[in-house]
Amino acid sequence: MSSREDILGRVRAGLSRDPAHTSAVRQDIDTVLAARVQGPRPAMPADLAALTARFAEKSAVQSSTIDRVARLADAPAAVARYLKGLDFSLAAVIWPSLAALDWRAAGLAVEARGAVDSDMVGITGCFCAIAETGTLMACSAPDHPATVSLLPETHIALVPMSRIVPAMEDAWALARAELGSLPRAVNFISGPSRTGDIEQTIVLGAHGPYRVHLVIIEGE
Amino acid sequence: MESRSRHFKANAAASLANPVLQANLKTAKGKFVDKRAIAIKEIDDFEGSREAARNIRNRVLENLDLWLEKFEENATARGATVMWAKDGDEICRHVAEIGKRHGVQKAAKSKSMLSEEANLNMALTAAGIRPIETDLGEYILQINNNEAPSHIIAPVVHKSLDEVADLFHQVHKTPRKTEIPALTREAREVLREHFLTADMGISGGNFLIAETGSVALVTNEGNGRMVTTLPRVHVVITGIEKVVPTLEDLSLLMRLLPRSATGQSISNYVSVLTGVKTPAERDGPEHLYFILVDNGRADVVGTEFQDMLRCIRCGACMNHCPVYQTIGGHAYGWVYPGPMGSVLTPLYTGLENAIDLPQAATLCNQCGVVCPVMIPLPELLRKLREKQVEKHLRPWFERIALKIWAGVAASPPLYALGTWLGVRYLKWLAGGRDRIPVLGVAPGWTLGRDFPAPEGKTFREQYAERQGKR
Amino acid sequence: MRVALFVTCLVDLMRPRIGFAAIELLEAAGCAVTAPASQTCCGQPAWNSGDRAAAVALAKKVIGEFTGSEYVVAPSGSCADQIRNEYPAILADDPEWHARALELASRVYELTDFLVNVAHLENLPGSFTGSVTYHDSCTGLRSMGIKEQPRALLAKAPGVELKEMVAAEECCGFGGTFSVKFGEISAAIAAKKCGNACASGADTIVGGDLGCLLNIEGKLRRMGNEETQVMHIAEVLTAQK
Repeated sequence: MSSREDILGRVRAGLSRDPAHTSAVRQDIDTVLAARVQGPRPAMPADLAALTARFAEKSAVQSSTIDRVARLADAPAAVARYLKGLDFSLAAVIWPSLAALDWRAAGLAVEARGAVDSDMVGITGCFCAIAETGTLMACSAPDHPATVSLLPETHIALVPMSRIVPAMEDAWALARAELGSLPRAVNFISGPSRTGDIEQTIVLGAHGPYRVHLVIIEGE
Repeated sequence: MESRSRHFKANAAASLANPVLQANLKTAKGKFVDKRAIAIKEIDDFEGSREAARNIRNRVLENLDLWLEKFEENATARGATVMWAKDGDEICRHVAEIGKRHGVQKAAKSKSMLSEEANLNMALTAAGIRPIETDLGEYILQINNNEAPSHIIAPVVHKSLDEVADLFHQVHKTPRKTEIPALTREAREVLREHFLTADMGISGGNFLIAETGSVALVTNEGNGRMVTTLPRVHVVITGIEKVVPTLEDLSLLMRLLPRSATGQSISNYVSVLTGVKTPAERDGPEHLYFILVDNGRADVVGTEFQDMLRCIRCGACMNHCPVYQTIGGHAYGWVYPGPMGSVLTPLYTGLENAIDLPQAATLCNQCGVVCPVMIPLPELLRKLREKQVEKHLRPWFERIALKIWAGVAASPPLYALGTWLGVRYLKWLAGGRDRIPVLGVAPGWTLGRDFPAPEGKTFREQYAERQGKR
Repeated sequence: MRVALFVTCLVDLMRPRIGFAAIELLEAAGCAVTAPASQTCCGQPAWNSGDRAAAVALAKKVIGEFTGSEYVVAPSGSCADQIRNEYPAILADDPEWHARALELASRVYELTDFLVNVAHLENLPGSFTGSVTYHDSCTGLRSMGIKEQPRALLAKAPGVELKEMVAAEECCGFGGTFSVKFGEISAAIAAKKCGNACASGADTIVGGDLGCLLNIEGKLRRMGNEETQVMHIAEVLTAQK
């Protein structure tokens, strides 16, 4: 007997599985999967401005820094300003989906590709962002390589205000509506990587970025 | 991992006598307990959320076979290979075979308690694959001669900064650093190289999502993302009980897990991984394997202990346990310490191999009230004690003492006589003082404290005298 | 109100004065109190040690003894919990006894809970003077909801100053047979409780369960603390000073 059959057989025996009812239970399971019942959720503001304020506040709790610009076209200048403020060189790896922005005009040397170890700054967009916890949702795709938000010491993300949703449940609903099936990797990112393993003292910058900077895009 | 649970008493005595450990436990307790208390206040309906979480986990367990088949169907449809392992040895065989098939020389591991159950690192080394633990805590243990973790989410909670500083200095041959950020950076640099060169990533799985055939992985350090993004092969090793139905259910559970574990509103990285990379993608594994593990779980399904399978491995029960706080995790002797371990260890490794664990609890129910999935841990511990009695596993003197006591308590005249004698004996032992420093009938009590002397006459005697006077 | 006092075996053996203090309090609240002579133990030690047969026998014995009383009151949250919440579980397989267990469960109370919420005690018989800190015993707190009741009673005593300790709700390490089977661990937990209690600055540690109090007192004395008093809440509420 295969291990699969052995294990499932003992589970069935434990549950006193009646073969006559199996198909009914399978239908119940499909009903549960289709119903997608949600549990209790914390109350969230209804209007977008308040939701954005909540997102910014919770992002700060997660040790992200926040900037706001009016239009997407303003983002490169905001990024340049942030990097200059840290005395960093103006070079970055970016998601290929962001290649159309005029980075050069802001003085940035960007390369649109997956990140490698030597990249110091990675710039990404996001699929959406979650106000409840100050979280980015990034979906992997050919022009959204997962490494860009992971390998560099500094991660900068552009967050359109129109993509801020109240909670993780809303993020899933958006993904189902716009993407159909899930991409290979959905990464929820809430601030810089950290560890508390030594004496339960939180240190930022474990294996991923040391800092996460969010540029909220208020308009188009 | 070979169980040392049989030696619980000796292990615990050593822990009590270790001043460094005692200091470290005190620091950790304050942080875990206080931070959780603050974090749960952010949830308007925390108790309602606990109930919802319990129901989600129960819904799957009640039809676990069919939910597993649903998960398998959806995971396979997305290009993953689902394998099954009855025990630790089979986990090791599967991983070694996968390694051989893909020419793997180095495996980078995110934290997996199941790999501790299976002693996977030893098996990988024997199979010519170099395992690298990448969770900072697990890495510290690995370079310290493969020491066992003492906590499921804070593996080196028993170690002080000084001990880690010495270890890094010796093993990395670098100048001794005394700041935690500098030590963390040193580990980051060592491990970054391994992430980039590993052929295989091994992770646990916090949840398996039936709806999509995905695994949800929760980390703060980002090592979980690294080992599932960079290597060509990703192997998920997880227990068969980890299935949840939908992404909505995951969302609810993610409100509870980090808050209960570390007092965070959310962990830094929550990754939901489905299938293998498409040809056009620049990163992600080409091969994804799920190893669904029994190792004792299947036989718990349908028993009076099934509630334990709801466990989501947050560690809140141990963080809040007065016994854990006093002796630390190593004393429990196997993979899972604290109240959860005192239930899981006898269930998974045999009742007779962990005879002290179900007894080593005050049944204060602090664990039960903090458990995010409402596992009645004290009740399960009590049921395990009942099993021990049924199987005659308790020591003879305890069995005799219980029998005598039960017989006396069932008979009022015998009881009156017994207590009449008892108080006079104790009074005599006290010798006019208000305490007894050494109590022969219960020597355990007076090991660390005095036994207060009785008043002198029982209530029933005095009550009868007063009634007589009325 | 007619109250049958469930004395508890520890009070019977070790501190009868707590039983008499409980009677005094109940009488002050206008109750007629009796203490059925044949009572022994609620059976919790057997139940928690896994001896189901002994637990069943003692549960039936207690149910029989207290049939007919209007209320049953115990100066212990832990024993009252055994009768109220565990007996129905112990006797779940026996419909007749299960029904009787549920019926008794509806009439059984922990002392302070009864005094505050059922008997509505107004004037305390005692006049204790001093500062106290209250240890919340685990079973009373988490299974019986005993938290505000003892504090409400202490608040009625003009001479009592309540100084809350940190972690008042944490276990003292007693745990019934645990205290004997794992004496060193138990005593180490008790040491933390004593530290927190003493740090409150109170002269007297008060609680509602004698097991915890014996544990705390025994540890205090072993630590060389001869000053801090350890008293049951019923003793404090009836003390003359």
